Formats: sequence, C-alpha cells, structure tokens
Amino acid sequence: MIEKGKISSLQMAMIMYPVVVATGDLFIPAVTAKHANRDLWISPLWGSLIGFFVVYIIFQLHKLFPKETLIQQTERIFGRIVGKIIGISFLFVMLQINSQIIRQYGQFVGNVFLVKTPILIVIGSIVLVCGFAVRGGLEVIARCAQLFVPIVLLTWVLFFILLIPDMEPRNMLPIMAKGILPSIKGAIPQAAIFEHFVLLTFMLPYLTDLKKGMKWGVISVFITMLTLVLITMSSLFIFGDITSELAFPVMIAIRYIEMAGFIEHLEALMMAIWVIGTFLKISTYYYVFVLGISQWLHLSDYRPMVFPSGFLLIAFSIWVATDVQEFLHFLSTVSYFQSASFEIGIPTILLLAALAQKKIRKNKEGKKG
Amino acid sequence: MDVFKKLVRKGYVSSQTKISADKLQDITGMQIPLSLELNENLQTLQTIYENCLYVVFHNFLISGKTNALLIFIEGLSDKDMINEYVLTPLSQGTSEVQESTPIVQNKISLSNHKEVKTFEEVIEQVSMGNPVLLIDKEMNGIALNLSKWEHRSIQEPVAEPIIKGPREGFTETLSVNMSLLLRKIKSPLFKMNSVKLGRYTQTQIVVAYIEGLADPNLVQEVMNRLERIDMDGVLESGYIEEMIEDNPFSPFPQLLTTERPDAVAAQLLEGRVSILVDGTPIVIVVPTTLFSLLQSPEDYYQRFMISSMIRWLRYLFVVIALVAPSVYVAILTYHQEMVPTTLLLSISKSREDIPFPAFFEALLMEITFEALREAGIRLPKQVGSAVSIVGALVIGQAATAAGLVSSPMVMVVALTGIASFMIPHYSTGVSFRLLRFPLMILAGILGLLGVVLGMITIVIHLCTLRSFGVPYMTPLAPMKTRDMKDVLVRAPWWMLKTRPHLTGAGNKYRQSPGEIPGSSKGDESE
Amino acid sequence: MKLSYLFICGAVFILLSGCWDRVEVNDLALILGSAVDKNKNNTIEISAQVFIPKKSGGGEQGGMSSDGGNGNTLVRSATGVTVADALSKLKMKLPREAFWGHSKILVIGEKMAEEGISDLVDFMMRSPEARVRKKVFISKGSAKHTLELISPLERSTVEVLREMTEIHSVMDTPIKRLAQMMAGNANAAAVPWIEILPPEPDVKKNQTVPYIKGTAIFKKDKMVGHIDDKVTQGVLWLRNEMRTTTISVAPSEAEGLVTLNVIKNKSELVPKINDNQWSITVKINPVASLIENTTNLSYKNPNFSNELEKDLNEAIENRVKKALAQVQKEMNADIFGFSEAFYRKYPKKWEQTKDQWNEIFPKVKVYVQVASKLVSTGQADTGISRPEKEVKKK
Repeated sequence: MIEKGKISSLQMAMIMYPVVVATGDLFIPAVTAKHANRDLWISPLWGSLIGFFVVYIIFQLHKLFPKETLIQQTERIFGRIVGKIIGISFLFVMLQINSQIIRQYGQFVGNVFLVKTPILIVIGSIVLVCGFAVRGGLEVIARCAQLFVPIVLLTWVLFFILLIPDMEPRNMLPIMAKGILPSIKGAIPQAAIFEHFVLLTFMLPYLTDLKKGMKWGVISVFITMLTLVLITMSSLFIFGDITSELAFPVMIAIRYIEMAGFIEHLEALMMAIWVIGTFLKISTYYYVFVLGISQWLHLSDYRPMVFPSGFLLIAFSIWVATDVQEFLHFLSTVSYFQSASFEIGIPTILLLAALAQKKIRKNKEGKKG
Repeated sequence: MDVFKKLVRKGYVSSQTKISADKLQDITGMQIPLSLELNENLQTLQTIYENCLYVVFHNFLISGKTNALLIFIEGLSDKDMINEYVLTPLSQGTSEVQESTPIVQNKISLSNHKEVKTFEEVIEQVSMGNPVLLIDKEMNGIALNLSKWEHRSIQEPVAEPIIKGPREGFTETLSVNMSLLLRKIKSPLFKMNSVKLGRYTQTQIVVAYIEGLADPNLVQEVMNRLERIDMDGVLESGYIEEMIEDNPFSPFPQLLTTERPDAVAAQLLEGRVSILVDGTPIVIVVPTTLFSLLQSPEDYYQRFMISSMIRWLRYLFVVIALVAPSVYVAILTYHQEMVPTTLLLSISKSREDIPFPAFFEALLMEITFEALREAGIRLPKQVGSAVSIVGALVIGQAATAAGLVSSPMVMVVALTGIASFMIPHYSTGVSFRLLRFPLMILAGILGLLGVVLGMITIVIHLCTLRSFGVPYMTPLAPMKTRDMKDVLVRAPWWMLKTRPHLTGAGNKYRQSPGEIPGSSKGDESE
Repeated sequence: MKLSYLFICGAVFILLSGCWDRVEVNDLALILGSAVDKNKNNTIEISAQVFIPKKSGGGEQGGMSSDGGNGNTLVRSATGVTVADALSKLKMKLPREAFWGHSKILVIGEKMAEEGISDLVDFMMRSPEARVRKKVFISKGSAKHTLELISPLERSTVEVLREMTEIHSVMDTPIKRLAQMMAGNANAAAVPWIEILPPEPDVKKNQTVPYIKGTAIFKKDKMVGHIDDKVTQGVLWLRNEMRTTTISVAPSEAEGLVTLNVIKNKSELVPKINDNQWSITVKINPVASLIENTTNLSYKNPNFSNELEKDLNEAIENRVKKALAQVQKEMNADIFGFSEAFYRKYPKKWEQTKDQWNEIFPKVKVYVQVASKLVSTGQADTGISRPEKEVKKK
C-alpha cells in the first residue's frame, strides 16, 4: 500500500462535497440556465441520479476487489496489458479534466479579479499550493477538507440569508411549463460534475470504517445536490429570466448584495471561498492522478511524482485551448462525452466485466462439482 | 583506557587530567569503583577536582580512630547540617576498632542517605550538592542528602497571570517543582522517572505521568527521545523542546510549555506526559494540539458560559492577529469595491499625502510594532509603562501627523497587536505574529487571492503536523465529536465526562455519570 | 541546495515583476455616479462625478468633514461614438485610474432615452466592474446638469438621488431590474424621472438638487413618455411597490378632509382568461393610520371609520384607474407585470398568444379591489381641540 494514511467515511464525504460544488456553483448554472431556463433548479435533482449511480458502481467494484483502487482493479479484471492500457487512458483523462478545471479557475480569477496578472502566475500558485497538500497525503487533504468545508458551507448560508430580501420566489413559476425536457437538457452539465464522484474509488481502500462508507457516500451526493439546488434557485429568484444571459449568475448575485448600507460588493469574499473550494477539488484530482500513476507504475512511494505532475498540470492547462471561445465551446460539447465515457463508462464496464467473470467462474465450478 | 575516554566524554574528567591509566581498574568496563585506601581515593579525587576552588575536602577521624573524608561543594551543601548532624556525632566518642559503614550510618542522625560505589557516583552526588563521606578501608562511601542552596521563592508566574485561580508558579529547583505537582496529584499512580542530560551540566530531567491514564507507548516514546539527546549542556527546557519535537522546521510549537502547576496537573489528568527540567521553571507537556495551545487554565475556573464566550473571542482574535494587516492591504489595493463607500472616501482622504503604498506602510508599521514589543520586554520595569504610552500614542500620533502613515493603518496595527496579546501561550502567539509577515507579502502581490493561498498553505502545514503522534489539529481534523465540546465551547464540568480521545483512550471516563448539579441533588444521599 | 536555488528563483521572479493588479487608493478616481447623454450630432457624452479626497489638514485624524458637498466632487465628461469609446476618452481626462466600483447611479438624458438604451444596458451588465445595483434615472433635458448640481445637505447629488429612492415611494430601478424588465415578456420598463428643483432665488443657479418627479415609461428600449407623481403612485400600487404615502379624502358625513398615512401594503395580481377575454383582478390591501382630521367626526365610532375605509378604497382605486388609463391604454406599456402573471398561471395559452401581447394588453380588463384597514386614529381623538358638543360622535 503506497498510501499509509487512513481516513474516516465522514472525511471522505467532506472531501467529495467541494469537488462537485466548487465548479457547480460557478460555471454550471449559466450553462444549465441556457437549456433549462426557469426549471434550472430541477436539473441538479436529475444530475444527482448520476451521482448515486456512480457511487453505487464504485462500491460494488470495491466489494468485489477490496482495498484496491480502479487502476489496480482494471489490471485484475482485464489482465495486465489491457488493464494497463485502460488504466493509463483513465489517468490521462483525470489529468486532462484536472487541467480543464485549473484553466477554468485561472480564467475566472484572471478575468474578473486579477485582470492584469499573467494567467501563469494564477495557475502556478494554485498548483503549487495543491502540490503541498498532495505531498502530505490523503490524510492531510481529508483534514483540510474537514476544516474548510464547514467554513465554506457557513459562508454560503450567509450569502443566502443576505440575498433573501432580494429574492422573488415567483420567478420560479410556472414550473415545468415546457414539460420535463428543458430540465433534463439542463441536467447534462450537472451530471458532468456529479460524475466526479468516481474519485471515491481512490479513497475507499483507505477507509477506517468501510461499513459506513456507502451511507456517507450517499449523504455526500445528497447534500451536494441540495446545495446546488439552493444555489441555482437563489440565482433564479434574483434574476429571473436573465439568468441564462449572465456568465456567472451566482457571482453577480453576490455582487448584488447590499445591506445595512455597508455590506456590499462581497464578491471578493466569495472569490476567497471559491478558491478554497477549488483548492480542495484540484488537490483531490491531483492526488488521484499521482496515486494512480504510482500504482500503475508499481512505485513504492508516490511522493516523488507530486511536483513533476504539477508541472504537467500547468502545461496541460495552458494547452487545453488556445483561447476562451474555443475553451467554452469544448466545455459545452466535447467535454461531456469525454468525462462521461471515462468517469461513468469505464467503471460500469469494469463492473459488468467483473460480474460476468464471476458468473463464468461460478458456472465452471458448478460444472466441475 | 577506553573507560578513561568514557569519563572524558561524559564530562567528568577533562582530557588533560594527569591520571595514569594503571590506577584505573576496569571491572565492569563501565564504572570505576572506589578503592579501599582512603588516600588513593583522596588523590584521585583531588586530581579530578584540580583547580576546583569550590570543592572542600575535609579529613577527620571518626571516633578518634577511623580515617574519613568528607567531600562537598560549599554553597551547594547545607554546612550547618553537616556540622551538626554529621561531623559532631561522628567525631565524638572513641572506638577501638575500625568502624564500618553501617555503624557509621547509624551514628549519623539523618534520614536520607545512599551508598556510592564508584567515582562516577561520587562525582554525581557531590555535583548535586550532596556531601559524600568516604571511610578508610570501606568499599562504599555514603552520600548524604544535605543539598541546600539559595533559590527564588514561589511566586506568581509572570508570563501567565490569571484572575481566578492559584498563583503558584514553578521555580528553578527541581525538587520544589516536583513538590508542587505532588501537592496536586496525590496518588501512587503518579509516576516520575528521571534522566540526566547534558555532558557538562548533568541536568536532571524528570518525566512525570499518571499510570493508567497515559498511554504507555507515549511514555516510552518520550523516554526514548530524551535519552537520545547528547549535547554539552541542557540549560533550559527550550533546548530539550527543540531536540525532541516531531517537526523542527515548523513555526508552530509542538509542545506545551507552562509555568503553572495547575495547568500541568490538569494536562496530566488528561493522559499527557510532562517533562520537568532542573534549573528552569518552564515545564513541558506532551503531546499537545493547537487548541490546547490556545487555552488558558483560567478557562476551566470560570463559569462555562463566560469561558465559552471568551474562547470564541480568542479564536476570532487569533484569526484577526494573523490576517488583519494582510486583509487590509489586500482590500485597499486590489478590491476597493468591498469597502463601504463612506469609509473608502474617508480612507482615501487620509491617505492622500502618504508617500508609501499601502503595502510598505503596513510592513513598516508592523515591523516597528514588533520592535517596540521586543524592546518593551528588555526595559526595566519602571521605564516599561512609559515606553508603551510613548510608543503607542505619541509615535503613532506623530507619525500620522508627519504624514508618514495613515491613521487607518495605525488602527489596524493596534488591533493586530491587541489581538496577538489575546493568545495565552507566548510561543504560539509568536508563531502567529511571525506568520503575518509572509501573508502581508502575499497580500501585496496577489491581493485577497494571495491571502487565501497563504492561509491554505498554513492550514495544510498545520494538518501535516503531529505532536508525538497526535495530529496537531485534533479534534477538529480529524474530527472527534466527543472532544469538540471542550474546543468549540467550554462545556461545564458536569458534561466533561470523557477524557480526550487520543491520550486518554485507555481510560475513558473521568467522572461518574449524572454529575449535573441542581438544587434537588443535595437530597439524594437521604 | 537545489530547493533553495529554486526558491530564490521563484522569489526573484515574483518580486521583480511587480504586482500587476495593485492599485493604490490614491491612484484611483472614485466615481460616484455617471450620466449618459446623446448629443445633437449623435455622439454619446459620458459624464462622471468624481470624488475629491481633500486631506483635512495635519493633526486631524482624517475624519470625514461634514461641510456638505461644496467642492467635494467634480464632474468630467467626454464624447465618443459609442459608450465604450466615450469612456476611453473620459479616462484620458482623468489623472487617476477610473474606478467604477462605487458608482451608484446612472442618469440617462432624455434624448438618449428616446433613442434607445438597450446598448447602454448591455454595456453596463457586461462590464466586469459592473455594479448591478446601480440605480438608473432618466433626467429631463441633459443628464450632465444633474450631476453638476451642488447639494447642500448630502455629499453629492448622487447621494441625494440614491437616498430619495430608498426613502420615498417612488420607482426604484437598479440596472438588474431594468435588464429584467427589458428582456422580460412584456418588453416594457419603468425608470424614475428626475427634474431639477428650481433653486432658491438668492443662491447660485447650481446650488440645488434634482428630485424625482414621476416615471419614464419605456417600450422595448425607447422611452415613449413619462407620467407624473400621481400616476406613478397608481403604478406603484399595482406593482406592489408602495411604501408609505399620504392620501387625503373628503368624507361624506361632514365637512373637511381627513388625511391618512398608508403604512404597509400588499398587492396581488390574479389573472383570469375566460374564452379569450383576458382579465386581471388587482387585490390591494393597505394598512393605514389617521394623521390629520379637519372634520368634527370622532373616528372612535366604528361606523365612521368603516366609512373612512371605504373612502380610502375609493381614492386608491381612482389612482390606480388613472394609472391604468394612461399607461395601459395610452402608452400600451406593460410595466405592471401583467404578462408575467398570465405566463405563470396560463403558460400554454401564453406561449400561443405571446406575440400578440401588444394588442391584447390594452384590452385586458382590470378589476380593482381595495380592502384597506385603518389601524390607528392617532394619539388623540377629535375632541381634543374642540368643545365637546361640536364633536359628532354618531
């Protein structure tokens, strides 16, 4: 076992929460709104179904091959060569998705807050900090999550409360005027982030209390869904129809807060909270990649891989797209398929293959005996 | 010859001593026993103690017949007691035969003595202030427990005053400190082990713990780490602190140091281990968490609601002490839209003629403040209060008037200063004070993003720290809900039923159930 | 060794290149409010009211001087072919970097309003520095003049306008609301209309304030007219934005007038479609208290107060009807939210007929139902300043 740390299932749930919510509260509402319009708050409900599905599959795989992560499981199920190919492509996609996230982060912070700062500094600084966390290992990431997630949650609640005077719940009506289709179309970007729950496969082997693991996994999906529903609902209540026209409705909503004459323009605070959430998300993906590569190469320790992976991440995030339009286009079309096929598709195929193998083995033994 | 080397290495003997090798008998290879001939012993000791003005060699006859030698260090031994209870009874009377050690021992009207067999032990006892009596033709000498020296009386610890609670503090004498602890914990399960460290200082270190409460592995680990220390001298517990901590490169202290016996006793009752060092009133307690370092023993003597409020206030101000200047600089130079308009207009008015950018102004003021604080510690008491008034008011005022700094900046720096005084444990306070400078630099470069990244890095570091195996951020991360009631708030004593998880796991309950008080509870016994 | 080398490189790199986004407060021109005008030659003129931070002398700890608005602000303008163009020219005129983060109001000149403001709104919402809570006003004549006024009470005209929308019962339109209205189903918007208060005879011409006198009505993005105070009140009743107002009624039982203060109100729109007849019932429920009574009626008598409530209902209904007459029938601008109400209740029908809203809207029948409640008749009764026999108690 390369990773000697152990985490509890509560910590695991806490790690996964910002992984989804960090981008889900920034980039996703706009895309969802474009498809779903007033029903955009229903979309997270559909998206969470994917979340539950992924959690279930990962758990079943873990039951069949305990104490192993996806990379090790693929080698078991498909044999060394095919397993290694699948493993490396999975890891490559992890790297890619992570660099997309980093690029989005850099784009957002760069365009809105630190306009003149070169994007390399913004990206480099966050990768460096995440590198420190990954070097510390799973336990450190879990502890950071335990410390930060309550703060992030509380701040979101605070923002929500501060926005209540400006909300108009009537904007929600009529519900599902055009039927169920818009909210389902809007659920596609939501599903794209709920797929991130596949990262659980890299944490399950290190749980101290595996029995509670499934329970906490489900709770994590549920609370994530609730948060996303609340966030999308609040932007809908404030902006109504123009939600789909705004690039970052949540941020503009927070910018809209003005209370007691002096609480205003809190978006810098929101950026701080969002950076914390993104830090946790990037660190988790980063850790998964480092651990995965170390397992794929059968290394004894993953620590030397941390900083070289960091460089790779920075380079990839620059290469992902040449400019913003191309990037946005990629995000709204190709990326769904890429992430879906790897984050949902591969685990499902693995599980089916494993179950099939089990059945064949059973039949063989049945015939023998 | 290698035994000689050992003496040299242990610091007993300087390598320039002219002891000839054949005088040393190597029986066990480890110790050099006393010889039967008093003269030989005298010669050896005189050579060892050559040029040692402070050692007294007193030759006398016991009962007029037996030759005896009393060695002691004037100033460390109680001369009156020696004269009265040792020399007088021994010199009296006559005897025909050679007196042996047991007979001599009976003549001495003292309660505590022990036998010494080797030169090493003789030197050890004499250095500790215990006179050693060597008798001609006897294998063993007698070390008498008659050490006495001038020391400070028990006073209130200067650096840790409290309003409500005991005002005793440790002193520099180990036996006094031990007695202070023994007055608090009166159980035979209270164990103390001793180690001697430092080649030249031979400082006695006592490791105290309560058996059954402290994890035996922990005690063993502490002893291992202490015994590993091999240095010239251990003058203060700080030396030991740096030699046994888990992460020497961290800005945060990983051991709790305190001058208060009640604090130490409370920690011991939670299953921790304490290290007392002779010569310093500062006692070390391990393991510790960040939250223990942010507590004051007074928290437990006041009522729980008050203590909880003060605890929250303290946490708030710890954060302020760390980030206030950075956030101020960040918002003022990068995120001016966050400031309420009225405030921004007045700040811009007051900054109109300031030559420095906000970042340098902040750096300047903070460094000046730190310098003032350090200077204030070194000043004699009479001048101290005047300087604080001078420093705070006049300099701040004058600097603003001269147009060097703006008054909002002085406000922020003053607030930070006050906030850092809120931290009861000095070393922790220093760590936080130190860390705000990198945060300020980050704020100056990247604004609020820099501050957030800096804070994240600090948190990551805190999460990787361990103190003797206990994660530094327990019980917040990893989350132990049972222990949270003593961290987030201060639960009343009748609710603190369980011992902290990581140290007292073996013995969970510290109270019997149903301790909640009430007016009806008095009748229960009837 | 390698690590320290790397560290030094990194440190040097960071420290040498400077802090890119760092701006000192004193290098900022704090813009409190802006005005946009369309000039005769179709160019756009942008004016900004900039704050002057005057250091109030050495020794004083930089307190806020309360000497009013004289000379604390100045106005700079620049002209260009588009909004962005004018802005860049404006930047050239300022020795400091323009900081829009505290710009709280936007005044649009009459001419610009008439020619269309959708570009302006687009620009405002798109900008990263946009303050979505900026309040929009349409000024009679030139918007620039409004900014140039010197207000005696508040720090600047910006404050004056902002406070007015907060306190009084007038239309309040932050940019977000304006965008919502313009992009909404009705394509109509309402923005407060300001005029300049005529100055006192013996003061300088620009020592006066602008004040809100009615509302400008937009259809699509062009202003089609403006309504006065009274009609605005009716509009506010319909939009459920009425805060406090005073209404005087003349009761029929006696001579004199009674003035009531409306403290709270809740209005609701209930739409109904009956075989292509579209109708809306407006339910208005104000809560009022009596503040002046020049009749000799004693309103402790519930009969009288019931009558009074009825009179109040009538008065409010009249105002609403007036508003409807002008805005619904004449201007054909749905600023009341009728379209939203219909869409919420009858989404399918709305989808079918939404392109004909222009024709349907003026024909919508509006039933006004006011149910006011008198909660207090003041601290004293009618008999306090009259001999008892004069007071009519029954």
